Amino acid sequence: MSKELKIAFIILLLGVTGLSVYWFTGVNPTQKKPIEPRERIILPNHKATLYLELPIIQSYLEDVKKRIEHGNAILPLEAKELDTSGMKAQAVLLKNSNFLSDTKDSNGNLQHNDMMTIRPAIVSVLSQKSQERCHVHKCYQALKYNFVTNTTTRAIVDVESLEVLEVKRFANMQPDISLRLKHIAQEIALNAPEIKKELGDSPEFKDMSMANVRGSLNNSACENKNHLCVSPTFSYHDKEEALWAIIDLSDLKLAAAKWAGLGKTSTPACIGERSLQNRQIMENFCQKDTVHEESNWKISYRITGSDGLEVIDAWFNKERVLKSAKIVDWHVAYKAKEGASSLDDSIDSYVDGRRVEYVKGDNDTFFFGYNDAMGCPMFSTSVVLPFNAPRINPIIKEGKKVGFSLLQDYRNPKWPMACNYRYENRFEFYANGSFRVVGVNKGRGCGKNAIYRPVMRIDMEVSDQEAFYAYEQNGSKGWRQWLVEARDFQKDATIYAKDKYLYKITSKSEPTKGYYVEPNRGQFTKGNRGDNATIFVTLHKENEGEQDLMTLGSCCKLSEEGVERYLEKREDIDGKNIVFWYVPRVRNDAREGHEYCWADTVLEDGNLKVKVWPCDVGPMFVPISKEGI
Amino acid sequence: MRRYVPVIISILIVFIATIVVINLKSNNKEILNIANIGEFKRIKTCAIQPLFLSKLKIPQPIAIDLSQQQYRGVAFLFGPNLMQSVHPKSWTRFDHFSSYILDQKGHMYLTPMPYITISPNTFTFQKNIYTLNSHSGKLSIWMSIDEVKAGANNPFGLIALDYDCDDNSLWVSAIDESSYSESRGVIYHIDVDSKKILQKVEGFDALSVKLLKSNRGKYLLVGSARDNGLYRYEIKGKQLSNIPAKVLELSDFNERIRKITIARDNTLRLETIPFAYTLVAETGEDSTIRENYYAIWSPTLLKWKIEKIK
Repeated sequence: MSKELKIAFIILLLGVTGLSVYWFTGVNPTQKKPIEPRERIILPNHKATLYLELPIIQSYLEDVKKRIEHGNAILPLEAKELDTSGMKAQAVLLKNSNFLSDTKDSNGNLQHNDMMTIRPAIVSVLSQKSQERCHVHKCYQALKYNFVTNTTTRAIVDVESLEVLEVKRFANMQPDISLRLKHIAQEIALNAPEIKKELGDSPEFKDMSMANVRGSLNNSACENKNHLCVSPTFSYHDKEEALWAIIDLSDLKLAAAKWAGLGKTSTPACIGERSLQNRQIMENFCQKDTVHEESNWKISYRITGSDGLEVIDAWFNKERVLKSAKIVDWHVAYKAKEGASSLDDSIDSYVDGRRVEYVKGDNDTFFFGYNDAMGCPMFSTSVVLPFNAPRINPIIKEGKKVGFSLLQDYRNPKWPMACNYRYENRFEFYANGSFRVVGVNKGRGCGKNAIYRPVMRIDMEVSDQEAFYAYEQNGSKGWRQWLVEARDFQKDATIYAKDKYLYKITSKSEPTKGYYVEPNRGQFTKGNRGDNATIFVTLHKENEGEQDLMTLGSCCKLSEEGVERYLEKREDIDGKNIVFWYVPRVRNDAREGHEYCWADTVLEDGNLKVKVWPCDVGPMFVPISKEGI
Repeated sequence: MRRYVPVIISILIVFIATIVVINLKSNNKEILNIANIGEFKRIKTCAIQPLFLSKLKIPQPIAIDLSQQQYRGVAFLFGPNLMQSVHPKSWTRFDHFSSYILDQKGHMYLTPMPYITISPNTFTFQKNIYTLNSHSGKLSIWMSIDEVKAGANNPFGLIALDYDCDDNSLWVSAIDESSYSESRGVIYHIDVDSKKILQKVEGFDALSVKLLKSNRGKYLLVGSARDNGLYRYEIKGKQLSNIPAKVLELSDFNERIRKITIARDNTLRLETIPFAYTLVAETGEDSTIRENYYAIWSPTLLKWKIEKIK
């Protein structure tokens, strides 16, 4: 055997041995340890209306409005996006009754549609019959999207005979977007304050790609799959990470953003706005407390499992004011004027899929309704979920900042559809030391006769030894101290101290140290109809609401608020740590021109617009030192 | 120069073989990443319908309703368009149920579910397996697992179950101990006659369970409550393997597999819901938030094809 043959043999032998070892033990190219992405979620904290100031959006909305005013529901593609055949196809489709047949609602109102793409047809989308035609003729496929019904329509046009061959509709599906919408999405991403903050003041166009422009009909990543969304991405390959911005093109706003690795599975397209929100809220507001300092206030807050947003510690000028303030429940009751006698107690009753509780009233009336808990979006007994993270906003009065508010938005995901609810928990802190606990109801609920009763629990820290007073209503014009746990009806009060205050919580030893309670009688917000509250004062006990409270009482028994159970022993509260409960009672109104605690959806300029008539409830707490005794 | 030809050829052979082997290994690994449960058939179950339905002369077809849309607890629907029902008031006393299974004698076993409003008994109810007696139609607590403790931070307890015709046992999952950061679900294997817990496997939140036999063995399929995946445990000698392996995943990350059925040979039907360990109630015109899929296993391609059922 020659030397060369021996070498060849050795090479083969070594090769086979090496490959055998590799096959059974070697590192697989697909087994490379993935780089752990630096995941961080950013939720919008600015009003979406700021994007309406962008010229590109103004011009787009103006064009949509003009088209609608002239009786055309579809915003066509601009000439620069089309070749000659595409223009012909568009012209044919804009006159085709079948293609246009889903552009009006049942009342004949036009709905906003955008033509998204018009391109040469590909075989895979053609029916057998169209394939035969398109084999000999030039065919184009067009996609349009209806923003109101979230439906995509695909049409096939023979651009030689100018004939529409096929029209197919895909409900709850979104198409690839037009160049114009792509530019709008990029502009929103580049101008979003949250993105600017992440990337420095001027995010650059060159860093942005639109990898997530839809290539096929897909489910949307935002607004529970009901909106058209895309994800412009700022990629930084050197760091192997990218900032994904989810842009909602139905609402023209930033929906969420996320820093993630460049791997496929961590892109927002796979996750969606809702789950990003849930994770952000869980990790930052459900599992830890957040501290905020402003206007001489220092507050800590968190989102609870079922008691909404809770301020757990509040200090003003380095003096502790609050140990806890929260809204533990919203009781919702609806009044039926007749039918109590025919109610069948043996079976459960449901309204829109939700089991309801019934309480019989007088004269054949009855009440039915629910108890809605607000809380963390995961691992909780919450029924109404937090949307976006808690926000801090300045309170401006007569052009001047007088304090700040902390608020959390809670919604049923399908609000404002019937039997879905939206509440806002808001805490207002003023530079003069006053504060207000506010519950805001934004409808819509199941009907026009709703009575809402949020149960507010406020544990003040005026002193180790506290005293509670109510303003006398019997004409003696003075403060009367409560020595035992009790209840009172603000709605029955006619006389107020300084024409504002009905109660006060003070230090037992220092009567000037403490807070007046100023119930809402409509003075805080224009058009407000007051609280008609029932109040309770109880001795502080750990198991009476310090931790998360489950449903407190009946939704519909209007003679009780649920807190009564803590009054049974009528315990001594003089000089003790007390808890103040405040339960407003507000009735909604759906009459046109009188709407209150109500929401509605209307078609305006071709797009759905949500109209809200909020009602706010809750008392103001004013330092006695500011007002004097 | 000619004398070097064998050397050059050998180098070329090794080079080409290297490329082939690397490719083969990559492809093989991709296939191995999916747990292969083999080929399976739709077989007739040993379970029968409760006998009291025949005594009551309830005509077929009969549907079992746990939807909570019309009836609390369990109800049997029958008649034209399933508009008639059997639903005595006593069947509401344990509130709502999330899943059921029938055994070979027609006894029904049910797992509980918290639903929208929390009542004083809601959390206590979540630790029980309930039974509807085949002969009497009496609903009662069949077994309590006291270590299952639902609470405000996770209102769910026992959640899904399946009946094993081979050894007259139940496979039941609980998710009460799980939190946002930890998956601490438990799968219990319980002997029906003795009510003894035969095995307990910890660490997986199963929102649905389904026994399946294939040409590769016997498996417990489980739908994860935490992601969009379907997993399997291997069952050997009545014992569950400790490590679940992923069988497939759905395209939508937000969906969770709530119900698994064997639709036909090599085809699973998967019902999904959004699930976040809360009591969220979504209502509206399109109040159905469930999606259904066929997962079709190709024994030749060793791949799943997922089809949405419209």
